[in-house]
Amino acid sequence: MKKIININLFLSLVLLISGCEKKLELSNPQSIDASTALSTDDRVKKALIGNYAALGSSSLFGGDVLWMSELLASDNELNWVGTFPDPRQIIGKAIFTNNSNVSSTWSAAYGVIFNSNNILGAIDVVKAADKNKVKGEALLQRALVYFELVKFFGEKPYVAGSPDQLKGVPLITASGPAAPQDVFYQLSRASVAAVYTQVLADAVEAESLLPNTNGVYLNKAAASLLLARVYLQQANYTAARDAANRCITTATANSFGLMTNYEDAFNQSANTKEDLFAMQVTTQAGSNSCFIFFSTSTFGARDGDIEVTDKHYDKYTSGDARKDLFFYEADAYRAGKWRDNYKNVKVMRLAEAYLTRAECNARLSTNVGATVSSDLNQTRSRAGLSLLAAPTLQDVLDERELELAFEGQGAWDAKRLKLSVDGKAYNDDKMTFPIPLREMNVNKNLEQNPGYAN
Amino acid sequence: MMKKLFLLSFIASFLMIGVAMAQNTTVTGKVTDESGTPLVGASVLVKGTKVGVTTDAQGSFSISVKANQTLEFIAVGYESRQVSTNSKTFNITLKADIKSLSEVVVVGYGTSIKREITSSLVRIKGSEVQNTPVPSLDQAIQGKAAGVFVESQSGKVGEGIKVRIRGSGSVNSSNQPLYVVDGIPLASGAIGSSTADINFNDVESFEILKDAAASAIYGSRGANGVVLITTKRGKAGKTKFNLNVQQGTNAPTRKRGFLNAKEYVDYFLMAAANDAKYHYYRADNYWGYNNVQEAVDEAQDWVKGRFNRYSGISSANTNGGGQDWKTGTFNNNWEDQAFQEAKVSQYELSAQGGNDKTKFYVAGNMNRQDGILVKNGFERMGARVNLDNQVNDWMKLGVNLSLTKIVRNNVPEDNAFETPMQITALAPITPIRDANGKLFNTPVATYYNPLIETEEASNKITAFRNQGQIFADMKLAKGLTAHAELSLDMVTQNQEVWKGPRTLAGNGTADQKGLATSYWYRNARWMTNNYLSYNKVFADKHKIDVVAGMSYENLEQNSAFVEGQDFPDVALKTLASVATYTNGDGTFNENNLISYFGRANYAYNGKYLVGLSARRDADSRFGTSFKNGNFGAVSLGWIATEEKFLQNISWLSFLKPKASYGTSGNNSGLGFYDARTQYGSATYGTSGGLAISNFGNDDLRWEKVTMLNIGVDFGLFNNRITGEFEWYDKVTSDMLLNVPVPSMSGTTSVYGNVGEMSNKGIELTLNTINISNKDWRWTTSFNAAKNKNKLLKLDGEQKEVLPSSARYANALIVGQPIGVFYAPIFLGADPANGDPLYRKADGGTTNTYSEAGKFIVGNPNPEWIGGITNNVSYKGVELSFMFQGVFGNKVQNGAGGFMSASGEWFDNQTRDQLNSWKNPGDVTMVPEARLAYNGDWGFMGGTNISTRYMEDASYVRLKNVSLRYSVPQKVLTNLKISSAQIYLTGVNLATFTKYTGWDPEVNTDYRAGNVNQGSDFYAAPQIKSWVFGITIGF
Repeated sequence: MKKIININLFLSLVLLISGCEKKLELSNPQSIDASTALSTDDRVKKALIGNYAALGSSSLFGGDVLWMSELLASDNELNWVGTFPDPRQIIGKAIFTNNSNVSSTWSAAYGVIFNSNNILGAIDVVKAADKNKVKGEALLQRALVYFELVKFFGEKPYVAGSPDQLKGVPLITASGPAAPQDVFYQLSRASVAAVYTQVLADAVEAESLLPNTNGVYLNKAAASLLLARVYLQQANYTAARDAANRCITTATANSFGLMTNYEDAFNQSANTKEDLFAMQVTTQAGSNSCFIFFSTSTFGARDGDIEVTDKHYDKYTSGDARKDLFFYEADAYRAGKWRDNYKNVKVMRLAEAYLTRAECNARLSTNVGATVSSDLNQTRSRAGLSLLAAPTLQDVLDERELELAFEGQGAWDAKRLKLSVDGKAYNDDKMTFPIPLREMNVNKNLEQNPGYAN
Repeated sequence: MMKKLFLLSFIASFLMIGVAMAQNTTVTGKVTDESGTPLVGASVLVKGTKVGVTTDAQGSFSISVKANQTLEFIAVGYESRQVSTNSKTFNITLKADIKSLSEVVVVGYGTSIKREITSSLVRIKGSEVQNTPVPSLDQAIQGKAAGVFVESQSGKVGEGIKVRIRGSGSVNSSNQPLYVVDGIPLASGAIGSSTADINFNDVESFEILKDAAASAIYGSRGANGVVLITTKRGKAGKTKFNLNVQQGTNAPTRKRGFLNAKEYVDYFLMAAANDAKYHYYRADNYWGYNNVQEAVDEAQDWVKGRFNRYSGISSANTNGGGQDWKTGTFNNNWEDQAFQEAKVSQYELSAQGGNDKTKFYVAGNMNRQDGILVKNGFERMGARVNLDNQVNDWMKLGVNLSLTKIVRNNVPEDNAFETPMQITALAPITPIRDANGKLFNTPVATYYNPLIETEEASNKITAFRNQGQIFADMKLAKGLTAHAELSLDMVTQNQEVWKGPRTLAGNGTADQKGLATSYWYRNARWMTNNYLSYNKVFADKHKIDVVAGMSYENLEQNSAFVEGQDFPDVALKTLASVATYTNGDGTFNENNLISYFGRANYAYNGKYLVGLSARRDADSRFGTSFKNGNFGAVSLGWIATEEKFLQNISWLSFLKPKASYGTSGNNSGLGFYDARTQYGSATYGTSGGLAISNFGNDDLRWEKVTMLNIGVDFGLFNNRITGEFEWYDKVTSDMLLNVPVPSMSGTTSVYGNVGEMSNKGIELTLNTINISNKDWRWTTSFNAAKNKNKLLKLDGEQKEVLPSSARYANALIVGQPIGVFYAPIFLGADPANGDPLYRKADGGTTNTYSEAGKFIVGNPNPEWIGGITNNVSYKGVELSFMFQGVFGNKVQNGAGGFMSASGEWFDNQTRDQLNSWKNPGDVTMVPEARLAYNGDWGFMGGTNISTRYMEDASYVRLKNVSLRYSVPQKVLTNLKISSAQIYLTGVNLATFTKYTGWDPEVNTDYRAGNVNQGSDFYAAPQIKSWVFGITIGF
């Protein structure tokens, strides 16, 4: 009898477990299924926040696009003494196609574009009151990275002429097939001109849609400043001047303004009134690779991989507050702008808009918004320098170099001003990044830049 | 062992039924082994009848026989004997059977007789590896089984062991075998090797299942082979205690040597001068030096400035304690600082015994192994209870319980600046400490000083593994038994890390006041296995053995992580004291598996054998299009020596050709939720956002492995030579690949079942008894295996995934082995100018790295592996020694670009760099020494990956030497103990290789994977151990 009971127990155990087919349908407690991830107003807005995190990755505005631009334009004003070979290749203008910083930036940029495209594709579920804002931010996120891509990877700078024939980067402006392996994604490179056109279209639309203020997120003045940067690269000084003027007008009408002390504009964990856009860095999220490489171990960085040489340091006159911001550590000057850990990465400061407007006014002999002298003296007076009554174009350019030093504009100013860098012409093949080897390996439609073998 | 007893008791009770039928004379006696110990549970059979009994707790038996019948004595692990019944009482001694073909072996869900096995299976007895002074059982079986490749990634103790049974079948799934301990698949922990959680002194036997016929019954987890681990069980009789004490030392197998202080100074001054000359003569002198001397002077002055800094005599060091580098009198050998004095110890006490009704095995063990690297260590404490109770004549209950505690003192991965071996990069002119006794660090040291980790950091991993199982075997009818079990395998790991303010991580915080993390992980699997077994012999000729059952498994993984930064004081080290909590995480994941399985074996007339096995797995991780995986195998065997026409060949004792064909699977490459495209959280600033966390694929499923195995088992000269030869062809299809895709798709790769891989090979095992007489016994076990791995298909269109690393060359190329090296061929220094010279694709040469062609230049997978063990005993003294070898593979030194870089930067250089090119016409493999000061000679040209940093890593190792002395019985009797042995064992005593790095058995931990093989990067050399031990039985 006992035996029968045991056998019954055994059999019922078997049957019990056999019936549990629904145990095979388990979903990840840490995730939302893609089919519903962009299905509501709130979720699309959360995806937009997620795209800021992508934008702030160390490979993009979390620092790399800034210091890579500065190393490329070093001209012996910076020295790379760190052990990492990849940045050393960049400063030496001897970049291998397998350079990890180069390929990470490419991939991270297209990650942001992918997110923007998905958000724009789901824009209709956003409630009407917020639609413009969300759309404007997604467009401007996309414009920001396309502009970095075309500057780093475009065959030649825009100003070198014939941008129609120059290879830019692949353009994708809408969500593609769900399967990433689809051949659809084997896109070929659009021309430099086409990428500029796309950046301008996105930024112009964003400028019209974005609110004047938007917390730490992208706003109207940031869109105007991006436009000013793009036009400046194109040497379209009229448009650049007007965009810079719109930027200043919008910003100053909405409580933005220059900080009283230069040093207070940097090493901040919250945005200052001078920040039109900065990547947020906390101890828990975000990264700042400029800090990692420019600062020293005293402040928790590496060993001071990037040194500032006397050639740069001597460009400042004594008493210049910007000179005082440098600090001397481990046998070299260090860029004090990037001294501290867990501080925001400056992407757009209002000071740049004044300098752009001044430069364009000087070039065009106009006084749109303000006189050249008045704009120039905004930053000069803050730095504690004498005011210039009749500044020349060169004065403006010199001021721009010192005010914005090591904030990521180095290579782009050098290229548009056709300066030679470390013995290389501004449009030398080696002043452009190679298309990453990993992309070449998976996409037969990509063509490599001249000057790079494989 | 449990299953063996079960089978034996089954046979015994089956036979007892027959006892009642025949009644003539009663014969009694006692069965003992060679030492006189009674053999309990031995079968005593009347030949040619169904009559039989088993021996009792005293080894005694009593059986009724007719006149002139023959008795057959059979016991597991002993040679059987036949004796005619011409007397009424007699004592039988059975000889221990070293590699008997009648041996009982453990197979999936049951046991079988080795003689009738038609699959490919290797049995390693626990006693063969007992007391080997290594932490992990994989290391203990290295070189012992044909076709089983074992590689320790480095000499870090208790972690990173690669095991490949018949090659690598997969690119993205695990290629490690499935470990099953007493029927429970071993759940892996998050950190460290799980097999190190098993005290292998508790193990009765390891059965390694190699072909599909053996492993198909493990379905979607069987493809990499299965290691069945059976723990010891009690035998009825007097309680026997066994005490085991072991002490010894660990040391590195080798130190490689770097430049001394004088060489370092001279070398870098030369490198600076060469760089300046290059700039002046060959790079257009664009800095505008007036003459070459000016360029040289400036570069050398700058280097001297660096020397001042590195030796601690520059103004950067305000503490004093620097040493003048100019005199050449101070030299610091940093390599010595990476290692510590290391001890090994083991204490163990076990007891086993019981009666007919209840038997037990209990054991407790403490094992401590200091690592050779500073602050590296491993400790294991364990307890085990295995109980069996015969409830009544049809039911047996059992309990297995084990609890293990593992403590690891971890060192960082090989690519971390904090890892001890990276200390070798520091300049020999740098003293260890300043005048205040404080360790020198950057900027005085060229790099972070890893010794800071020994003073101001700790990294301790504590793991508890609990395996528990209750089971019942119920005899339902004649020949029909039901087995039901409920098991739990749980591992809880906790990693506590503290980094003081001077450490790299502890200095990288907001206030540079240290950092602490705590990681907690639990992996809990509960499962039930239920199956019916049916055994019967029909008409004396048809023997069948059938098993059918089901199992259900549930796996839950929880983890939590907290990071905090900045302590108010260096004495405070735990998270309770931090100023800010900077990071946290918590996850939960779950997986379910429902399976049905079966096996049937049929033997006709004791010579024609057929085996079938099958399993169906339904796994919650599979994509929606593939919910069930079906696996199965068929095998055939023929015991040819049972045929009349072969029985006259006196030298041929046994011959069994066999073949099998079947499928098994590999589900390990699939994460629990990989099949789905999902969004996870992405934080920006302080706001929570969403971002794609996984690009899914509904078609994701197990990888399928199809294997054909053909072999022959043989015994020659009265089985003095036994062996096996096998050939296999194993093909993986539906192989999971991370197919690289253009970044424009939003990701850089996507997962899919697209690839194919092939492994073909041969295996030979030979066991010989060379000498066997009263005093002497000499036996040899030899095994060798060749495996040829070949990638057959990637995604179909793509033919290769080429390396994009600047330091490593592992590639996936269709038609080539997995991880094959694809890199430029380095031709040495250009005799004309000292530039590194490479082969171009068109066959010419170039000194520009980017113009070099890329070629298939080496294979990280060994072509041949093998091992040979000799056991020589003379009376009570036994010497065994084992050589183990790996042949035909290469290793790339990813750190070559730092440590063997012709002085490109200030890393201390390996001694071979002294042979750098110096004058036109010099022929050398080391390019001209040039510091990257002016930085215009094409940076990295010579230090990018090429054959410059690859070497043949074949080796033969004296793996194990053991000398044992058994105290004679006479002495034992006086001491009132039953056995005593003292032994001296050495591991990794000598290595014969051409590899010039630390150790040819290497794969740096930070990148080790299926493709990323054969890489060295400051990996610790292997551990050489010596231990002395005593075993006492009483």
